[in-house]
Amino acid sequence: MADAIVMQNVVKRFGKTTALDGTDLNVLIGEVHGFLGPNGAGKSTAIRVLLGLLRHDSGEVRVLDGDPWNDTVTLHRRLAYVPGDVQLWPNLTGGEIIDVLGRLRGGFDAARKSELCERFALDPHKKSRTYSKGNRQKVALISALVSNVELFLFDEPTSGLDPLMEAEFQEVVRELTAKGRTVLLSSHILAQVESLADRISIIRDGKTVEAGSLDDLRHMSRTSITVPTEQPLDRLATLPGVHGLTSHNGHSQFDVDRISLDSVIRELSTFGVLSLEAKPPTLEQLLLRHYSDQISAETRQVVLGDS
Amino acid sequence: MTTRAQTRDHKLIGLATVVRLALRRDRLSLTSWVIGFGLFTLYVVVAIPAAYGDEADMRATADLFAVPMSRVLIGPAYGFENPSFEQFVTNGYGLYFLLLAALMSILTMIRHTRAEEQTERAELLRSNAVGRHATLTAALIMTGVANVLSTAAVVAVLLFVGEYSIEGSLLFGAGIAATGLSFAGIAAVTAQLSEFSRGASGLAGIVLGAAFVIRAGGDLAAVGGSTLSWFSPLAWAQQTAPFVLNRWWPLALPLILAMVTCAMGFALSAVRDFGASHFQARLGPGHAPSRWGHPWGWAWRQQRSLTIAWAGSLIVGSLAFGGFTQALLEAELPEVFRQLFTSVDLLTGYLAYMVTFMAFFVSSFAVMAVQGLRSEESTTRLEAILALPVSRSRWFLAQLGVTTLVTAVMLLVIGWSIGVGAALVTRDWSLVLDLGWAQLSYLPAVGVVLAVAALLFGTLPRLVPATWALVALSVFLGSFGTLLDLPQFVLNLSPFTHLAEMPIEKFNAWAAMVLSGISLAGVGIGVLGLRRRDVSGG
Ligand SMILES: Nc1ncnc2c1ncn2[C@@H]1O[C@H](COP(=O)(O)OP(=O)(O)OP(=O)(O)O)[C@@H](O)[C@H]1O
Ligand SMILES: [Mg+2]
Repeated sequence: MADAIVMQNVVKRFGKTTALDGTDLNVLIGEVHGFLGPNGAGKSTAIRVLLGLLRHDSGEVRVLDGDPWNDTVTLHRRLAYVPGDVQLWPNLTGGEIIDVLGRLRGGFDAARKSELCERFALDPHKKSRTYSKGNRQKVALISALVSNVELFLFDEPTSGLDPLMEAEFQEVVRELTAKGRTVLLSSHILAQVESLADRISIIRDGKTVEAGSLDDLRHMSRTSITVPTEQPLDRLATLPGVHGLTSHNGHSQFDVDRISLDSVIRELSTFGVLSLEAKPPTLEQLLLRHYSDQISAETRQVVLGDS
Repeated sequence: MTTRAQTRDHKLIGLATVVRLALRRDRLSLTSWVIGFGLFTLYVVVAIPAAYGDEADMRATADLFAVPMSRVLIGPAYGFENPSFEQFVTNGYGLYFLLLAALMSILTMIRHTRAEEQTERAELLRSNAVGRHATLTAALIMTGVANVLSTAAVVAVLLFVGEYSIEGSLLFGAGIAATGLSFAGIAAVTAQLSEFSRGASGLAGIVLGAAFVIRAGGDLAAVGGSTLSWFSPLAWAQQTAPFVLNRWWPLALPLILAMVTCAMGFALSAVRDFGASHFQARLGPGHAPSRWGHPWGWAWRQQRSLTIAWAGSLIVGSLAFGGFTQALLEAELPEVFRQLFTSVDLLTGYLAYMVTFMAFFVSSFAVMAVQGLRSEESTTRLEAILALPVSRSRWFLAQLGVTTLVTAVMLLVIGWSIGVGAALVTRDWSLVLDLGWAQLSYLPAVGVVLAVAALLFGTLPRLVPATWALVALSVFLGSFGTLLDLPQFVLNLSPFTHLAEMPIEKFNAWAAMVLSGISLAGVGIGVLGLRRRDVSGG
């Protein structure tokens, strides 16, 4: 079986709120899977279902070929989790917490702990209530990374970490994948997802709205084109597949659907192209298209170039 | 002058917003306190005349309330020579109004100061132009409002339902409010001392406990209390002796205490950092002992500090109560009391009473322990544990197992402490072992309380605090049930009723077994519930 995680049409309700509303998620063994979505989309809820902390109402969930609700303990020997909202025991030190969690999991490796504390520059002697937010996050991160397991569930694992530590985290994740480990990475840091993830899933209002490799997703999306021409481009706006055309001093800017790219470029050549700049969509643009029903017109303009 | 006024303004800026938020967040608990006070008053005002029939019948048993042992539990017992109902009710039950007001003040204060500060909410508020002193002031306002409204409810019931005379009713109410305010001030100080809400309410609780013990010792010595009584903030309101002496001046003491402690609270909060305390955090070990890496070891580590705090205060209290036997033996006893205890000697009767009373405290500890589990869950720390290969039942049973063991040891040691206290004055050292066993014999009843809390945690986690109702009911029935001549089926609602009252009676193995069975069933249902429900599901 090549799937580390399978979620099919999963529904989870909290009273009147439907947190997961037919979520699909498919994580392959050995990959880093980016899990994206706006605030409140249901990412943390999905991860809690995968951990067997929440019981889903319907749909199918498999983790490492087991049922997270019924095979909880055996599955938990094979996975590690970094919660989205890290809360520590205030009067234990960071080192004590890492030890306790590591020993409760079993197979605790003290050498690995010192190595990670060093790499993440964590002083394990401080009481956890005196840690800064970033340092609390490091405690949770090290507690998970210290274990030798097959699957890592990361819910915003680096929120609050400085750029140096962020780089260290990415390095550690690459080492994990080199060893064949699987990582589910929920994150709002797009650069992190872009550099680590093999594939991503985007979830919104509890529904999976997009899934695939970054390249696939880019393919389905628009290319943005900046082009100075001899004649004004106004007529182009009526062509199918052209979006958000703006012109200024003979410089025009617009987005084109991938499918229409060929026909639009042909048409464009008749206007006397002076130069041409074409940019594939960034992950940010991809996401904002999915996130964006409620965002303001200005934000759209700035990020997407829509008008 | 203007600059000074400005800085003051600045420190209180945003106060209105904070108060409004607090009021909205608290409207339910505030209303419940006020209704609770009203109902409690209604109960004593209506039920006592109903239970006794007329004042003459009541007078026949009133002597019982004035004996030293009862004074430990009710106060200085003013006006019990020939009491009217209004004297009987206010001087016989007043202490419990004061305790409730003190508890209400402590809980409200800590909820709006330290507990709030522990969350990120307050930080958010504070960064939004909320002055340094706004939170503490808002908490004091909230607590003041709670005290005034609750007192108003009490006075209204006394005046309009009981048709008590005006001055005494007002004085009784004023005493409750003044005591409440003095404990609000005490909590304003402890909130600055400990970094955690539990620590802060624990410290204030220790002060309350000490106040109770000090006045118990003082009131035991003589009707009207002795010099010792005056050292306790719980005694002052009772020294007004409503409907008997009707003196107002003792109320100056709680008000002065309230002002001094509030000033201290503000001063302490001004010199500390947000989120910090006056107890400096030190560096700790970088490694944990390996025994913590096991559900049982971890459970003990988590309950350790609560255990030490409770065991410490209960042992001190037990030694003190044991030591009070001296005063009891020297006291003049009315005839009716001697008649009631012809079968046993006075000393054993008193000690048996104390043993029951301490068992109530230990059951409160058990409820607190389960509330600790609840806060593990609501802070999502439980999630971190249950994401490990630790099953829910294993975690839960380890926690409950540790609590059970701790309560057993606590009972035994408390029994021994009462025994030591008593033996020091009576020179009868056999008391030590006897009282140890007597105290331990309450374990099955404490177990039932623990099991009820566990059952709620597993099935309806939000309702865990409802276990306090069972504790309160048991305390009430245990203290006043027989005096009030309540029917047996009501008395049976308390698990403590069913056990033999050692050392007066012989150990009742049958009752102990039935209660233990009930406890196990309750825990079993709790475990099943926990395995089926969402964790951290709100
Ligand atoms: N215990 C709960 N009770 C009620 N509603 C809940 C609970 N947990 C989550 N929700 C709701 O479910 C929805 C999904 O929340 P979730 O925490 O999974 O979002 P998320 O994608 O992790 O968001 P974020 O990016 O902000 O972390 C939200 O609307 C949230 O309010
Ligand atoms: Mg989340």
